Amino acid sequence: MSVHKMLAALAGGVALTALLSVGGAGTAQAQGVACPVKIGGILPLTGSMAPITKKIAESAQLAVEHINAGGGVKGCPVQLVLRDDQGQPTVGVDAAKYLVEVERVPAITGTISSGVTGPIIASVTAPSRVVQISCCSTASAFTLDGRSQGYFFRTLPTSKTQAFATASEIAKRGLKKTAIIYVNTDFGIDMTRFVKEALPKLGGEITAEVAYNDNQPSYRAEVQRALAARPESLLLIGFPKDAVTIVREWLSLGGSPKIALNNSMRVKDFVDGVGARFLNEAFGMDNAQVQGPTVDAFNQAFLAKFGYDSQGPGVHTQYDAVMAIGLAMNIAKDLTGPSIKDAVRQIHAAGGATVGTGPDEFRKAVGLIREGKAIKYHGATGPLEFDANGDVTGPALVWKITNGEILVDYTISIEEMQALFKKVEG
Amino acid sequence: MLGQAIADGVLTGAIIALGAIGVSFGLQILRFANFAHSELLTWGAYIALVVVAFAGPGTPTGPLSFGWQMMAAMAVAAVLTGLLAWVMDQLVFRRLRNQGAHPLSLVFAAFGAALVMRYVVVLIWGPGTHFYTRELQFAVEVLPGIRMLPDQIFVLALTLAVVVALHLFLTYSRTGMAMRAMAESPALAKVCGVNVEGVTRWTWILSGALAAVAGTFLGLSPQVHPEMGFSLLLSLFAAAILGGAGSLPGAVIGGLLVGLAENVSVLFVDPGYKGAMPFLLLLAVLFVRPQGLFGEKQ
Repeated sequence: MSVHKMLAALAGGVALTALLSVGGAGTAQAQGVACPVKIGGILPLTGSMAPITKKIAESAQLAVEHINAGGGVKGCPVQLVLRDDQGQPTVGVDAAKYLVEVERVPAITGTISSGVTGPIIASVTAPSRVVQISCCSTASAFTLDGRSQGYFFRTLPTSKTQAFATASEIAKRGLKKTAIIYVNTDFGIDMTRFVKEALPKLGGEITAEVAYNDNQPSYRAEVQRALAARPESLLLIGFPKDAVTIVREWLSLGGSPKIALNNSMRVKDFVDGVGARFLNEAFGMDNAQVQGPTVDAFNQAFLAKFGYDSQGPGVHTQYDAVMAIGLAMNIAKDLTGPSIKDAVRQIHAAGGATVGTGPDEFRKAVGLIREGKAIKYHGATGPLEFDANGDVTGPALVWKITNGEILVDYTISIEEMQALFKKVEG
Repeated sequence: MLGQAIADGVLTGAIIALGAIGVSFGLQILRFANFAHSELLTWGAYIALVVVAFAGPGTPTGPLSFGWQMMAAMAVAAVLTGLLAWVMDQLVFRRLRNQGAHPLSLVFAAFGAALVMRYVVVLIWGPGTHFYTRELQFAVEVLPGIRMLPDQIFVLALTLAVVVALHLFLTYSRTGMAMRAMAESPALAKVCGVNVEGVTRWTWILSGALAAVAGTFLGLSPQVHPEMGFSLLLSLFAAAILGGAGSLPGAVIGGLLVGLAENVSVLFVDPGYKGAMPFLLLLAVLFVRPQGLFGEKQ
């Protein structure tokens, strides 16, 4: 038996366990839809990611159970056809091709690694016009460079959330002229691009953008360049070790102590390295934990089902990825990729009735959809609303340094973040 | 802006030059590329750190951020790192040399020695960063538009003093002359009665001592960490080769040019490409003078 066949058998087994009959509808034809309705899933079930994937796959399975117990899709039960990508692009693309061409799924959830998700979007889901919702891939290019043609969504906040929060805080503190020094990686480039997008609209100006490469003995040249236009403040996006050098050189050369920092600097090492007494006017941003009744309901359902808690990366976002597909399929006029794609944007409609997590809430949502009413989905990650690019936002927090202690200044709720996104992106 | 970039370039270049002298001697006198040299910088910085930990950086002397204890620490580090370099030679390279090992074997042995030395640092002092002093200095305007830290001016002056002293040593002392003879032609030097083992030993000790001074300066601006030497390795080699292997003025000018190439280029290109500039300069020089700026044609 080849490795591929073994994996197909394994995936088939997972699919069977995920299939639950819904009140005898198993073989029925409902609304011209062939039962069961298949949803594709791609996750690295084996390979280096496997340890974190276990809970994520269970979360997807839980979502399918909740959908089926809550009425399924257009009267049909849902079947999750899960394939392994082994964390490798070639295997992932193969799996996506199988799901689209053989299983004929109109929507896929997956996958974790951005390195696998990217090729799947480019060579399978976008050209085949199949909706893809990822729990975990953060590379910002997927939703921005047009390759997805609007078919790709993700349920976890990207660096955009932190970048917009940073821009908002800089503007709020009345700092008009800011220089940016950023680490020359995808993360640093993304953050800078988003801050650049947001800050001018919120009343700030960027006087310089200076990239730096890590592990240099000195950053005087970069700091001098950032200082040239005499900014009122510095936004430093990077990692603690080099940031210590940069901040010390910045202050030595006469830079302002009003320094905005990204989440990586929210560590004692950074504060001690620079010297606490120089950082009393510094502040930073980080992602905050989501709270709310729908989040609690998911956590309890997960604990009851599997016997351990739902803590871990991707668990909450994967549940919402599958639930979003389930809701969108019910809203869509037919089960084709383009219809589902448009419907994904209607799961959190303005003025809709709030629906949450779990089978009962799903049943309520299906009922509302049948009556032609709008819904507003609040999931395991809180209110789930995709922006124009297919990204979601999350709550953020602003931290400050007071006498060497890193303290949370205040948190920005997800609703406030969504309002901020609308203000920036129009 | 240009004046400031040149000043910054000279400062970075001075530290690279001190390290490059050892690499240059290694290339010409010991006849192999010692990739473990960068670890001597790291060790020098850590040895000075130990002394500072016991004695303290001292009360700041005048505008400097440290006192005489820091100077003493540097001297101790120079002596001990010189000895460490010699021990490294005795343990690793001498055996290989005596067995007539291929120069490439010596290079790989140097890689191995470098890794061992770096991880011993991690083992003893941990992977984190350390500081000689928590003081933060503020730059002073030395010339219109050129701001420098007092510590940096001190580093520059001391580098100049060390280079002049070294030049005098090489020109007038017996050992210095023997070292230059070895650099010219090991075989001829041996025939003329030069004590090859002695010259080799002095070369290692001098290289180590200079590396320790460079490492301590590097640690002053501003942190000491296990990869500090390694991240400078390519710059050291670029400087040594640019100047011409075996030439003291070559290594110093090479170091300054590397520092200037990095800092001045930032005015014209994206700082993200800063690291590539010294190597573009190196290629340009080697196309015209394959032996380096001050190197002798073989």
